Formats: sequence, structure tokens, C-alpha cells
Amino acid sequence: MRFSLVWTIFRKEIAETLRDRRTLIMMIGLPVVLYPLVVLGGTGLAETQATQIEARVSTVAVWGALPPELAAALGAEAAKLKLVEWTGAPAELRSDLETGRIAAPPLPPRDPPAAVPPGGTPDPSPPAPAPAPTAPPAAPPDPLADAARAVVSSREVDAVLVTWSALGPDLAGDRLGRLAIYYDSVRPDSSQARGRLRAELDDFRTALVTRREQEHALPPGFARGLDVASTDVAPPQRKAGHVFGVGISFLLILMSLMGGFYPSIDFTAGEKERGTMQTLLCAPLSAAEIICGKFLAVWSICLITGLANVASLAATFSRIVPAGARDMLRLEPSAYAITFLLFLPVSFITSAAFLAVGAFAKDFKDGQNLVTPVYMLFALPIGLTMLPGMELTPATSFAPVLNLALLIKALLVGEARLETAFLTLVSSFAYGALAILAAAQVFAREQVLLGGRESLRTTLGLERRPGGRPGPTFAFVFFSVMLAGLFYGSLWAEGRGVLGALLLVQYGLILTPTLGAVLGFGFPFAETFALRRPPARGLAAAALIGVSAWAAASPLVRLLPPPESLVKAMEKSLALGGEAPLWVLWLVVGLTPGLCEEALFRGLLLSGFRRLGKWPAILVTAGCFAVYHTSVYRLLPTFVLGALLGWLVWRTGSLACSVLAHALNNALIATLVRWEPAAQAMGGSGGVPLSWSVAGLVGVIAGVWLLRETPGAEGRGGDADPQGGSGGPGRANAG
Amino acid sequence: MELRVEGLARRFDQVNAVAGIDLTVKGGEIVGLLGPNGAGKTTTLRMIAGILPPSAGRVFLGELDVWARPIEAKPRIGFLSGDTQLYQRLTPREVLFYFGRLYSMAEDRLTRRVALLIEQLEIGSFADRLCGALSSGQRQRTNIARAFLHEPDLLILDEPTSALDVVSGSFIVEAIRRERAAGRGILFSTHVMGEAEYLCDRICLLHEGRIVDAGRLEELLARSGCRNLTDAFLSRVGRSPGGTAS
Repeated sequence: MRFSLVWTIFRKEIAETLRDRRTLIMMIGLPVVLYPLVVLGGTGLAETQATQIEARVSTVAVWGALPPELAAALGAEAAKLKLVEWTGAPAELRSDLETGRIAAPPLPPRDPPAAVPPGGTPDPSPPAPAPAPTAPPAAPPDPLADAARAVVSSREVDAVLVTWSALGPDLAGDRLGRLAIYYDSVRPDSSQARGRLRAELDDFRTALVTRREQEHALPPGFARGLDVASTDVAPPQRKAGHVFGVGISFLLILMSLMGGFYPSIDFTAGEKERGTMQTLLCAPLSAAEIICGKFLAVWSICLITGLANVASLAATFSRIVPAGARDMLRLEPSAYAITFLLFLPVSFITSAAFLAVGAFAKDFKDGQNLVTPVYMLFALPIGLTMLPGMELTPATSFAPVLNLALLIKALLVGEARLETAFLTLVSSFAYGALAILAAAQVFAREQVLLGGRESLRTTLGLERRPGGRPGPTFAFVFFSVMLAGLFYGSLWAEGRGVLGALLLVQYGLILTPTLGAVLGFGFPFAETFALRRPPARGLAAAALIGVSAWAAASPLVRLLPPPESLVKAMEKSLALGGEAPLWVLWLVVGLTPGLCEEALFRGLLLSGFRRLGKWPAILVTAGCFAVYHTSVYRLLPTFVLGALLGWLVWRTGSLACSVLAHALNNALIATLVRWEPAAQAMGGSGGVPLSWSVAGLVGVIAGVWLLRETPGAEGRGGDADPQGGSGGPGRANAG
Repeated sequence: MELRVEGLARRFDQVNAVAGIDLTVKGGEIVGLLGPNGAGKTTTLRMIAGILPPSAGRVFLGELDVWARPIEAKPRIGFLSGDTQLYQRLTPREVLFYFGRLYSMAEDRLTRRVALLIEQLEIGSFADRLCGALSSGQRQRTNIARAFLHEPDLLILDEPTSALDVVSGSFIVEAIRRERAAGRGILFSTHVMGEAEYLCDRICLLHEGRIVDAGRLEELLARSGCRNLTDAFLSRVGRSPGGTAS
């Protein structure tokens, strides 16, 4: 990859884009105008309406007789209520109310208090069985509600207050006085009238109860019984973060993605349509250089759009928002910074996806038709963040783009957790890299670039290649797809118990797809899986590394200690719930991952990455192995173990060595977790004792020394053939 | 540097667009690839230029296999076709600098070459106007400059004068002659027989993806017994000069 050429392509694309008015308007013009317009328009309109409703006096029809003191309270100037008698009441209804033919409906029955026997313990007898559910009876006709609905809907009045005929005598006789309010919740001024009535009636009731308590010489609060105060403890920042994280980040991401939408089509389909793609292909450039230059340009435009959106939003909220909404929308600058930073991976994925899909299109129109569904595919999951209860969990942390939108939300309300944030970023990087690889693969197919059509499988280089070897692209694509599948598959397998889930994941979700891929794509089985007789020294080195690597790597755990809950879950998993015999433990926790995971990582993946060269291949495979364990706390130790296992295979040319080391490593840890004295020694605050770590390090060094002395595949020129024709892990080894 | 094409073929689905072509172009020589529309000229030239992968056959530039080592081979090839377009929102000067950098030319050499080509091809009056505002003749002159910019050993010109007026076409003809004088090999495709007659040192007659005859103009005429290239071509593809099958 020649970065000077990538930079040249990038600069040209940016220069062309900045001369395109349409894109400039989408990038900067729209956000600069949109937010002030929406916020000013939206909040201003809402505020104006609220002010108008507040200023307006509510007209309330009173159907029935009001006792004088209540009429005085409701008719006070401060109440902003205009009482009109019998307005809108049909004559027959009025007569029925006045004569009492229509009376107050019976009060709903109150739940009796739980029976407490004299001894003070609840009645132990089982509760009566609940009656079988039946369909609710049809509501009887209610002429009063019908008449009130008609008069409120016609806007003749804002609400109807019904006083039953016995209200006056009931109040005078210290009994329960009853009224009813009829209003239309859809009409803001009707709801306002109801609110005002409730407020005045509450005040009247409080005064009435106080007077009754005094008249009957009862202590204050006798009738009220209980006072409950609720206080919202969420700080203003959290409330603002909630509003921002849920709603505004959705709008922000959508707007910013729109910035990359047109350039991605223009740089691919547009270039084909204008006839300039052929000229570009004449130049001495690799597909990767072309796609990187174009990708960086699309990504930058997306980011500039994102920045313009965030800046416009921040300016709008800090300067333009009306006073009433300011508290709700006040955010620290760090919140905007977080949003923009997380927009980096969001736009990374979407830019790559837009570009990959755009490259398939024949012309600009075709490009719009192809890229729009991708845009919708990203937009809809982001919209899901607005659903109540939608949060960043292990399950959602692997959902592309949705996970990042949820992470923004979680960070803004202060609920982000390191583990799910890690999973989100790792999976997002994998998805983004996949999309870029796909785009590069499309660009490498001149047939597609010159306007022809090929099958998706051919274009993405996934056609069957009997006798061929897996390459780095295949390895990466396979790992990324496996990772997502494994994650959701293991969530699904969780309900089958520790043993069942482990076997299902290892054999069903790791080994079977790995074998299927090698057979399905026609890769040479023995070479891909390095099925060679291992040298004796190699086996000895593997055994040494297998029993000591975990202890040697344990100080790395102290750099980022896992939470207690994770340690307990790990121990439970390693010990298979503590019930299985030891031999089952060794088979399931030791040998099974040794076989299945090694077939995937040191077999298919290392074979695929081999073209990158010895150490890049080993380290990239180790990186995949570390990421596969989906825990930020285990990242470093598993990376070190993965690198050692990779080197074992590279050096000896035999997968058997890494299977042995991996199986011993797992089996030993699982046994120690079961063995009480060892578990106690490791359970202290310091974790694995230092003496054990030193001993482990000595063991690893001895294994490495032994391996260096082993005349393996590498020693016979494995590195000499970077194409993988005869070297690397697939190399035969008779020694 | 000699171009050597061996058994070049390209199949699209069930159609053999090019069915095995062998040819050579030496330095300082103009070879014309003549044929009607659909004869396989563009496909052949794209394969030689390293743009379209062949189904079979090999292309050598000197000892360099174009398809095995494209990054090394492409700087030695200049490609121009009649339908090649320019970036609408860049100026001709910017286009030349852009491609010069893509060909990894040193900045001082690039600056000198751009200045020389702007002068030779009379681009100066519109060198700083956006390409989207240029006439087709001006665009094609810019394209010639772009193809000649990195001083390639081999020039591949696919119907470069199509859709151009006489004046614009003469710029191209002059430029081609100048490059031949500089010792560059030129592979030139056209369906205009007259153009080939006065410009080409050797001519390959292409029909349905195959070279049906090749040689100097006088050799082709002598073999066919015809008086002009059009008649010679028609006779080679089994049609009488009058338009009826022979």
C-alpha cells in the first residue's frame, strides 16, 4: 500500500466534492440551518401555544347545583375558570340530573386489608383460586358521557363539571361529596380546564378535611393518613443526556450519514457513468489503494458533516433554545465530544458499506437504488434506540450501528459499562473492516468497474476454489461472520446448561462451520489444518507451554482486574457447575476447546493469514483469538496464549502441538479451580501467587528454548515461500 | 520496448469477444488495429492496457508480463480512448497533476511535462477552466496530454479521433507522429480505413475477435488484389467490395 497515492486520490476526491454545491449543502448548509430552524420552530411554537393556553380562561359547563362555598372557590379570579350553568345539557338529561334519576355511579370496591390473626402472622391458608378469565362485559350506554363528549368536542365549553343532586347535603352532613369532570385529553385547552378544576377542587377538599378534623376534635392528618413525597434524584445532566441520547443522537446520526451518501455513489457509480473509471484503472494502482483513497474521502465527508451537525446542535442548544427548554437540553461540552467520537466508528462502518454497495452500480441512479436500502438498514436500527427499555446489553452490543447508538445513549446518561463498550467497539471495527474488504474486493473486479455484472459470490471472491488456499481476506471475513454467529449462538445455547452450551458452541458453532468452510471451498484439508506428525521435541515444548502459560500470563490480568461477578461466572463455567467428574472436565473443558478452537484459529485462520508473513500472521491470529473471548479483561492473557500457540504450529508445522498445549492449559486451570487448596491460593486479593507466575514463566521459557532447538517446518525454509506453497503451518514435518 | 501479445482471448458468458490474438509492436512503429464495430478492438486494447483481465493469453512489454506485474507495467503504457472522459470539477491542469502523481512522477519532472504538453497541445487558453465546461475537442486534447504525460514506452489509442472535428483530429494525428518520432510504439485502433492508410506502419485486420490479415499496407493490398484498404478488408472477411457475399 503506497500511502502517497492513497493521499493523492483522497485529495482529488475532496477537492471535487468541495466544488459540488449539492454535497456542500448536504454537508454543512443543511445542518447549520436545520437545527436552529427545528428547535426554534418547534420549541417556539410549543412555547407560544403553551402561553396562549395558559392565558386563556377555561370555560366549564356546570351540570348540577354547586354549594355556594365551592362555587365561590371555583369562580375566584385566580382559578381562571368561567362557570356556565347547564350549557350544552340536553333538557331530558338536565331533568334527570335535577331529579336524581341519573345518580352518581357506585364507588369501586376497595380491597379489604389482609387478614392478620391475633398471633400476628398472616393467614397461612392458600388463597382461593383465581376465577377463570372471562371476556369483559360490554360497557352500558352512558347518556351523560355522550352529552358531555358532544359539548366538549364542539368546543362550546372546555370541560363539563357534573355535581350530583346530593352534593350539598352530603358536604353539609360530613359525608362524601361526589363530582365528575368530563374533558377531552386530546384538546390541550380541555386538559388545561381539567387541571385547573382538579387544582381548585383539591384545595377545597384539603380545606374541607381540615375543617372536619377541627370540628370533630381529631388530630391534623387524621383523615389524610399518609403523606408521600416523591423526589426525582436524576441530575439535570442525566435528564438532558437522556433526551439527547434518545432523540437527538438519532437525528444527528441520520443527518451525518446523509453527508456520506452522495459522495459514496459519486466516487463509484458516478465515476463509471462519467467514463473516468477506465482512466483511473490505467494508472499503476492497486484496488486497495483506490478504495482506501476513496474510502478516506467518504469517511472524511461523513465526519465533516457529523462535526457540522454537532457544532450546529451545540450552538442551537446553548444560544437559541428558549428559556423553558434550556434546562432540559443543557449538556456539558464533553457530551458533544463523546457523540462525535462515537460517530467515528458509526461513519466508518456506513462509509465502507455505502462504498462497497455503490461500486456495484452501473450509474448514479442505479447507485441511489442500491445504497438507499443500505441507508435505511442503518437508519431503522438507530430508530430502535428510542424504544423504551432498549439498552446496550451483551446481545445488542453486536448489532451493527445500533450498538454504537446505544453506547452513545449509555454514555450520555452515565450507564455505559466497560465490557459492553468493548464488545461494541470490537464488533464495530470488525464490521467496518469487513465492509472495506468487500469494497476493495469489488474494486479488484474490473468487470464490475467497467459496468458488467458478476455474481455476488464471485465478486466477493467467495467462489469455490478446489485445491486453492484460504487467503487473508477469506480468513478475516470468515472470522467476522463466525464471531457474530458465535455470539448470538452462545446466547441461544445458554439455556442448555453449562455442559450442553459448551459442547454445542464448540462442536456446533466452531468446529462444524470450520470444517464445512474448508470442505465447501475446496481447500486442501491436511495442509489447511496442518495435519502432520508432530516432532517429539515439539510435543514436549507444547506440554511445557500448556502447563505453564496460564501462570506466566496471570500478571497481565492484574493490569485490568475483572469484576468479581465475571470471575465467579468463569469459575462456574470452568468447573462445569462443580458436579461433573474430573475426567469429564478434562474432556469438555480441556480437550474439546483444544480441538475445536485450534482447528479454527491455528488451522483455518493461521493458514489464511499466512500470506501476511510469519509474525503478522501469528499476531493477527492471536488477536482474533483474544477478541473471540469477548472480554476486555481477558484480552491480553488470551492474546499472549494465542501468540504462543501460533508460534508452536508455525514452528512445528503440526496442529497437534497447539491442540496439546491448549488442552493442557484449559484442563489444568479447570482442575485447579476445583481443587480447594489451589482455589483458595488463587482466590486471594492478589490472584495467582507471584511464585506460581515465576514458575510459569520459567516453564514457558523452557518450552520456547526447546522449540527453538526443534528442527521444524520453519527451520526447513517455511518462511521462504510467503505465498504458502510449501511453507508455514501446513509444512510437512518428519522430524 | 517491444509489445508482444500471445494468444490473447476473452470470453463474455457464451461469446468469444477475442479469440486468440498474436501481435507485436516495436518502438517507433505505429500498428493499426482495424475492424468494424464489435470486431473486438476495444476488448483487445483494454486487455493489453491491463484494464480487463484476459481469459487466456499473455501480454509482454519487453520482458515484463503486464498481467503478472501490473504495477510495474502500467507506467510504461499510455491509454487513450475516444470515449474517455475527464473529471468535471477539476481543471485540465489539475487533471494532469493528479495523474502525474498517480504515476509517481517527481514533482519537478511533472511540472516540466505539464508545461510542455500544455504548450504543444495548445491547452493554455483553457488549462484553468473546469473540464465540465470544455468542448469535446478541448477535452480530448487534455486526454492526449494525460495519456502522454508520463512518457510511456507504448501508447494504446482506441479510436482516439472518433466524434472529433477535423481540427481537433489533426491535433491527435500530429501528436501521434511526434511520439513515433520519439521512438514510442503505438497501437492504434480505428474503423476509419483512410486514417489507418496514412498513419500506420503496419495494419492488423480484425474480424470477429481474430486477426484475419496483417502486414504493411502495400502487402495487404497485394495479397487481396484490391486498390484500397476498405476493399481489402471486405475481401478478407468474405464480402465483395460491392457489398455482396463473395
